[in-house]
Amino acid sequence: MIDMLASRSYFLVAFLLSGIGTYMLIGNANLIKKVIGMNVFQTGIFLFFIASAFVDGASPPLVSAPEPYVSPLPHVLILTAIVVGVSLTAVALGLIVRINDAYGTLREGEIREVVRDE
Amino acid sequence: MTAALQIALLALVVAAAAATAVLRSVLSAVVAFGAYSLSIAIIWVFLRAPDVGLTEAAVGAGVMTVLFLLTIVKTDSPTVERTFEQIDLRAAAVALALVLALSSTVFALPAVGDAGSPVATDDVTSYYLDSAYEETHVENVVTAVLAAYRGFDTMGEAVVVYSAGVGLLVVLNREVFG
Repeated sequence: MIDMLASRSYFLVAFLLSGIGTYMLIGNANLIKKVIGMNVFQTGIFLFFIASAFVDGASPPLVSAPEPYVSPLPHVLILTAIVVGVSLTAVALGLIVRINDAYGTLREGEIREVVRDE
Repeated sequence: MTAALQIALLALVVAAAAATAVLRSVLSAVVAFGAYSLSIAIIWVFLRAPDVGLTEAAVGAGVMTVLFLLTIVKTDSPTVERTFEQIDLRAAAVALALVLALSSTVFALPAVGDAGSPVATDDVTSYYLDSAYEETHVENVVTAVLAAYRGFDTMGEAVVVYSAGVGLLVVLNREVFG
Protein backbone atom coordinates (compact mmCIF):
# COMPACT_ATOMS: atom_id res chain seq x y z
CA MET A 1 0.00 0.00 0.00
CA ILE A 2 2.74 2.48 1.05
CA ASP A 3 4.93 1.35 -1.88
CA MET A 4 2.00 1.72 -4.19
CA LEU A 5 1.38 5.30 -3.04
CA ALA A 6 5.10 6.18 -3.08
CA SER A 7 5.44 5.06 -6.70
CA ARG A 8 2.51 7.31 -7.57
CA SER A 9 3.51 10.31 -5.46
CA TYR A 10 3.73 12.53 -8.57
CA PHE A 11 0.09 11.81 -9.37
CA LEU A 12 -0.93 12.51 -5.77
CA VAL A 13 0.92 15.84 -5.84
CA ALA A 14 -0.77 16.66 -9.17
CA PHE A 15 -4.19 16.00 -7.59
CA LEU A 16 -3.21 18.06 -4.54
CA LEU A 17 -2.18 20.99 -6.75
CA SER A 18 -5.52 20.79 -8.58
CA GLY A 19 -7.21 20.91 -5.18
CA ILE A 20 -5.21 23.96 -4.06
CA GLY A 21 -6.02 25.66 -7.38
CA THR A 22 -9.72 24.95 -6.93
CA TYR A 23 -9.60 26.31 -3.40
CA MET A 24 -7.99 29.54 -4.62
CA LEU A 25 -10.51 29.94 -7.45
CA ILE A 26 -13.46 29.64 -5.05
CA GLY A 27 -12.11 30.77 -1.68
CA ASN A 28 -9.85 33.74 -2.38
CA ALA A 29 -11.76 36.99 -2.76
CA ASN A 30 -9.01 38.84 -4.64
CA LEU A 31 -9.28 38.46 -8.42
CA ILE A 32 -5.49 38.37 -8.97
CA LYS A 33 -5.25 35.45 -6.55
CA LYS A 34 -8.01 33.67 -8.44
CA VAL A 35 -5.86 33.91 -11.59
CA ILE A 36 -2.88 32.54 -9.65
CA GLY A 37 -5.16 29.70 -8.53
CA MET A 38 -6.09 28.97 -12.14
CA ASN A 39 -2.39 28.69 -12.95
CA VAL A 40 -1.75 26.36 -10.00
CA PHE A 41 -4.63 24.15 -11.20
CA GLN A 42 -3.14 24.06 -14.70
CA THR A 43 0.29 23.12 -13.41
CA GLY A 44 -1.31 20.22 -11.54
CA ILE A 45 -2.62 18.90 -14.86
CA PHE A 46 0.81 19.47 -16.47
CA LEU A 47 2.44 17.42 -13.70
CA PHE A 48 -0.02 14.59 -14.34
CA PHE A 49 0.87 14.51 -18.06
CA ILE A 50 4.65 14.79 -17.67
CA ALA A 51 4.73 12.19 -14.88
CA SER A 52 2.73 9.78 -17.05
CA ALA A 53 5.32 10.17 -19.84
CA PHE A 54 8.24 9.34 -17.53
CA VAL A 55 10.08 6.00 -17.73
CA ASP A 56 12.63 5.00 -15.05
CA GLY A 57 16.21 5.30 -16.27
CA ALA A 58 15.19 6.71 -19.65
CA SER A 59 16.79 9.66 -21.46
CA PRO A 60 15.08 12.83 -22.65
CA PRO A 61 13.72 12.28 -26.19
CA LEU A 62 16.89 13.46 -27.94
CA VAL A 63 18.30 11.21 -30.66
CA SER A 64 21.86 11.87 -29.45
CA ALA A 65 21.03 10.46 -25.98
CA PRO A 66 21.11 6.68 -25.28
CA GLU A 67 17.88 4.67 -25.43
CA PRO A 68 15.29 4.16 -23.96
CA TYR A 69 13.49 7.49 -24.16
CA VAL A 70 10.57 8.98 -22.29
CA SER A 71 7.45 9.56 -24.40
CA PRO A 72 7.71 12.87 -26.31
CA LEU A 73 4.02 13.37 -27.04
CA PRO A 74 2.87 14.56 -23.55
CA HIS A 75 5.80 17.00 -23.53
CA VAL A 76 4.59 18.52 -26.80
CA LEU A 77 1.02 18.81 -25.55
CA ILE A 78 2.18 20.50 -22.34
CA LEU A 79 4.47 22.93 -24.17
CA THR A 80 1.43 24.08 -26.13
CA ALA A 81 -0.66 24.22 -22.96
CA ILE A 82 1.91 26.38 -21.12
CA VAL A 83 1.88 28.98 -23.90
CA VAL A 84 -1.92 28.97 -24.11
CA GLY A 85 -2.01 29.32 -20.30
CA VAL A 86 0.14 32.45 -20.48
CA SER A 87 -2.16 33.96 -23.13
CA LEU A 88 -5.14 33.18 -20.92
CA THR A 89 -3.43 34.76 -17.90
CA ALA A 90 -2.51 37.87 -19.88
CA VAL A 91 -6.11 38.46 -21.03
CA ALA A 92 -7.45 37.73 -17.54
CA LEU A 93 -5.05 40.24 -15.99
CA GLY A 94 -5.99 42.83 -18.64
CA LEU A 95 -9.65 42.39 -17.69
CA ILE A 96 -8.68 42.70 -14.02
CA VAL A 97 -6.99 46.06 -14.68
CA ARG A 98 -10.20 47.26 -16.38
CA ILE A 99 -12.36 45.95 -13.52
CA ASN A 100 -10.16 47.84 -11.08
CA ASP A 101 -10.58 51.03 -13.15
CA ALA A 102 -14.35 50.63 -13.24
CA TYR A 103 -15.09 49.51 -9.67
CA GLY A 104 -12.05 50.72 -7.73
CA THR A 105 -11.55 47.36 -6.01
CA LEU A 106 -10.44 43.83 -6.82
CA ARG A 107 -12.26 42.00 -4.03
CA GLU A 108 -15.17 39.91 -5.23
CA GLY A 109 -17.63 40.92 -2.49
CA GLU A 110 -16.92 44.65 -2.83
CA ILE A 111 -17.43 44.50 -6.62
CA ARG A 112 -20.82 42.83 -6.02
CA GLU A 113 -21.75 45.66 -3.62
CA VAL A 114 -20.79 48.34 -6.15
CA VAL A 115 -22.84 46.57 -8.84
CA ARG A 116 -25.84 46.32 -6.48
CA ASP A 117 -25.66 49.98 -5.51
CA GLU A 118 -25.72 51.19 -9.13
CA MET B 1 20.03 10.79 -3.30
CA THR B 2 17.91 11.81 -6.29
CA ALA B 3 14.87 10.22 -4.63
CA ALA B 4 15.35 12.40 -1.54
CA LEU B 5 15.86 15.45 -3.76
CA GLN B 6 12.66 14.69 -5.69
CA ILE B 7 10.63 14.30 -2.51
CA ALA B 8 12.05 17.60 -1.23
CA LEU B 9 11.12 19.29 -4.52
CA LEU B 10 7.59 17.90 -4.44
CA ALA B 11 7.23 19.11 -0.85
CA LEU B 12 8.55 22.54 -1.89
CA VAL B 13 6.03 22.72 -4.75
CA VAL B 14 3.09 21.86 -2.52
CA ALA B 15 4.30 24.28 0.18
CA ALA B 16 4.72 27.13 -2.34
CA ALA B 17 1.26 26.45 -3.79
CA ALA B 18 -0.24 26.45 -0.31
CA ALA B 19 1.60 29.71 0.44
CA THR B 20 0.05 31.40 -2.61
CA ALA B 21 -3.36 30.28 -1.34
CA VAL B 22 -3.05 31.53 2.26
CA LEU B 23 -0.89 34.66 1.95
CA ARG B 24 -3.14 37.70 2.10
CA SER B 25 -0.83 40.19 0.40
CA VAL B 26 -1.06 39.80 -3.39
CA LEU B 27 2.61 40.69 -3.82
CA SER B 28 3.67 37.91 -1.42
CA ALA B 29 1.40 35.49 -3.29
CA VAL B 30 3.03 36.44 -6.61
CA VAL B 31 6.51 35.94 -5.15
CA ALA B 32 5.44 32.52 -3.82
CA PHE B 33 4.04 31.71 -7.25
CA GLY B 34 7.40 32.55 -8.84
CA ALA B 35 9.14 30.16 -6.45
CA TYR B 36 6.47 27.57 -7.25
CA SER B 37 7.03 27.88 -11.02
CA LEU B 38 10.78 27.65 -10.65
CA SER B 39 10.66 24.53 -8.45
CA ILE B 40 8.22 22.85 -10.81
CA ALA B 41 10.58 23.68 -13.71
CA ILE B 42 13.28 21.71 -11.84
CA ILE B 43 10.82 18.82 -11.46
CA TRP B 44 10.34 18.82 -15.26
CA VAL B 45 14.11 18.36 -15.63
CA PHE B 46 14.01 15.40 -13.20
CA LEU B 47 11.19 13.89 -15.24
CA ARG B 48 13.41 14.13 -18.37
CA ALA B 49 11.39 16.91 -19.97
CA PRO B 50 14.06 19.60 -20.51
CA ASP B 51 12.02 21.44 -23.15
CA VAL B 52 9.08 21.80 -20.82
CA GLY B 53 11.45 22.83 -18.01
CA LEU B 54 12.98 25.59 -20.14
CA THR B 55 9.59 26.88 -21.21
CA GLU B 56 8.25 26.76 -17.68
CA ALA B 57 11.28 28.64 -16.28
CA ALA B 58 11.18 31.30 -19.00
CA VAL B 59 7.43 31.67 -19.31
CA GLY B 60 5.99 30.47 -15.98
CA ALA B 61 8.56 31.96 -13.63
CA GLY B 62 9.63 34.82 -15.94
CA VAL B 63 6.88 36.27 -18.14
CA MET B 64 4.04 35.29 -15.82
CA THR B 65 5.65 36.95 -12.78
CA VAL B 66 6.23 40.12 -14.80
CA LEU B 67 2.58 40.12 -15.91
CA PHE B 68 1.38 39.74 -12.31
CA LEU B 69 3.74 42.47 -11.07
CA LEU B 70 2.54 44.84 -13.83
CA THR B 71 -1.04 44.18 -12.78
CA ILE B 72 -0.20 44.92 -9.15
CA VAL B 73 1.45 48.20 -10.19
CA LYS B 74 -1.59 49.20 -12.27
CA THR B 75 -4.08 48.31 -9.54
CA ASP B 76 -3.15 49.82 -6.20
CA SER B 77 -3.94 47.03 -3.78
CA PRO B 78 -4.70 48.22 -0.24
CA THR B 79 -2.13 47.58 2.47
CA VAL B 80 -2.98 44.46 4.39
CA GLU B 81 -3.18 44.22 8.14
CA ARG B 82 -3.08 40.44 8.44
CA THR B 83 -0.44 38.07 7.01
CA PHE B 84 -2.79 35.17 6.22
CA GLU B 85 -6.18 34.86 4.57
CA GLN B 86 -9.08 33.55 6.53
CA ILE B 87 -9.72 29.97 5.46
CA ASP B 88 -12.93 29.65 3.46
CA LEU B 89 -14.40 26.39 4.75
CA ARG B 90 -16.88 25.88 1.90
CA ALA B 91 -14.14 26.29 -0.72
CA ALA B 92 -11.88 23.98 1.28
CA ALA B 93 -14.65 21.35 1.35
CA VAL B 94 -15.09 21.55 -2.44
CA ALA B 95 -11.31 21.34 -2.99
CA LEU B 96 -11.04 18.38 -0.58
CA ALA B 97 -13.87 16.57 -2.36
CA LEU B 98 -12.09 17.10 -5.69
CA VAL B 99 -8.76 15.83 -4.33
CA LEU B 100 -10.43 12.75 -2.82
CA ALA B 101 -12.36 11.99 -6.01
CA LEU B 102 -9.20 12.29 -8.12
CA SER B 103 -7.12 10.32 -5.60
CA SER B 104 -9.58 7.44 -5.71
CA THR B 105 -8.31 6.76 -9.25
CA VAL B 106 -4.69 6.47 -8.12
CA PHE B 107 -4.70 2.67 -7.81
CA ALA B 108 -5.93 2.30 -11.38
CA LEU B 109 -3.00 4.38 -12.69
CA PRO B 110 0.31 2.80 -13.67
CA ALA B 111 3.27 3.53 -11.38
CA VAL B 112 5.29 6.60 -12.40
CA GLY B 113 8.33 5.42 -14.39
CA ASP B 114 6.82 2.04 -15.28
CA ALA B 115 8.28 1.01 -18.67
CA GLY B 116 5.09 -0.97 -19.44
CA SER B 117 2.71 1.93 -18.89
CA PRO B 118 0.18 2.64 -21.68
CA VAL B 119 1.86 5.96 -22.55
CA ALA B 120 5.36 4.45 -22.82
CA THR B 121 4.28 1.45 -24.91
CA ASP B 122 1.80 3.26 -27.15
CA ASP B 123 2.17 2.99 -30.94
CA VAL B 124 2.21 6.78 -31.31
CA THR B 125 5.12 7.11 -28.86
CA SER B 126 7.19 4.43 -30.60
CA TYR B 127 6.34 5.80 -34.05
CA TYR B 128 7.60 9.28 -33.14
CA LEU B 129 10.71 7.93 -31.41
CA ASP B 130 11.58 5.57 -34.29
CA SER B 131 10.91 7.72 -37.32
CA ALA B 132 11.18 11.37 -36.19
CA TYR B 133 14.88 11.65 -37.01
CA GLU B 134 14.60 9.87 -40.39
CA GLU B 135 11.60 11.89 -41.48
CA THR B 136 12.46 15.34 -40.17
CA HIS B 137 16.23 15.27 -39.44
CA VAL B 138 15.63 17.01 -36.13
CA GLU B 139 17.53 15.43 -33.25
CA ASN B 140 15.09 16.58 -30.62
CA VAL B 141 11.95 14.47 -31.01
CA VAL B 142 9.86 16.99 -29.04
CA THR B 143 10.79 19.72 -31.53
CA ALA B 144 10.12 17.38 -34.45
CA VAL B 145 6.62 16.57 -33.19
CA LEU B 146 5.90 20.20 -32.27
CA ALA B 147 7.03 21.75 -35.54
CA ALA B 148 6.42 18.96 -38.07
CA TYR B 149 3.90 16.27 -37.06
CA ARG B 150 1.69 18.59 -35.04
CA GLY B 151 2.54 21.75 -36.97
CA PHE B 152 -1.11 22.69 -37.38
CA ASP B 153 -1.51 22.43 -33.63
CA THR B 154 1.39 24.83 -33.18
CA MET B 155 -0.12 27.19 -35.74
CA GLY B 156 -3.34 27.13 -33.68
CA GLU B 157 -1.23 27.97 -30.64
CA ALA B 158 0.24 30.95 -32.48
CA VAL B 159 -3.30 32.05 -33.37
CA VAL B 160 -4.22 31.85 -29.67
CA VAL B 161 -1.23 34.01 -28.67
CA TYR B 162 -2.07 36.52 -31.42
CA SER B 163 -5.73 36.68 -30.39
CA ALA B 164 -4.68 37.14 -26.77
CA GLY B 165 -2.47 40.06 -27.81
CA VAL B 166 -5.27 41.66 -29.83
CA GLY B 167 -7.77 40.98 -27.04
CA LEU B 168 -5.46 42.60 -24.50
CA LEU B 169 -5.11 45.70 -26.68
CA VAL B 170 -8.88 45.92 -27.07
CA VAL B 171 -9.46 45.51 -23.33
CA LEU B 172 -6.84 48.02 -22.23
CA ASN B 173 -7.32 50.78 -24.86
CA ARG B 174 -11.00 51.42 -25.16
CA GLU B 175 -10.43 54.62 -27.19
CA VAL B 176 -8.95 52.58 -30.07
CA PHE B 177 -12.41 51.27 -30.97
CA GLY B 178 -14.32 54.33 -29.80
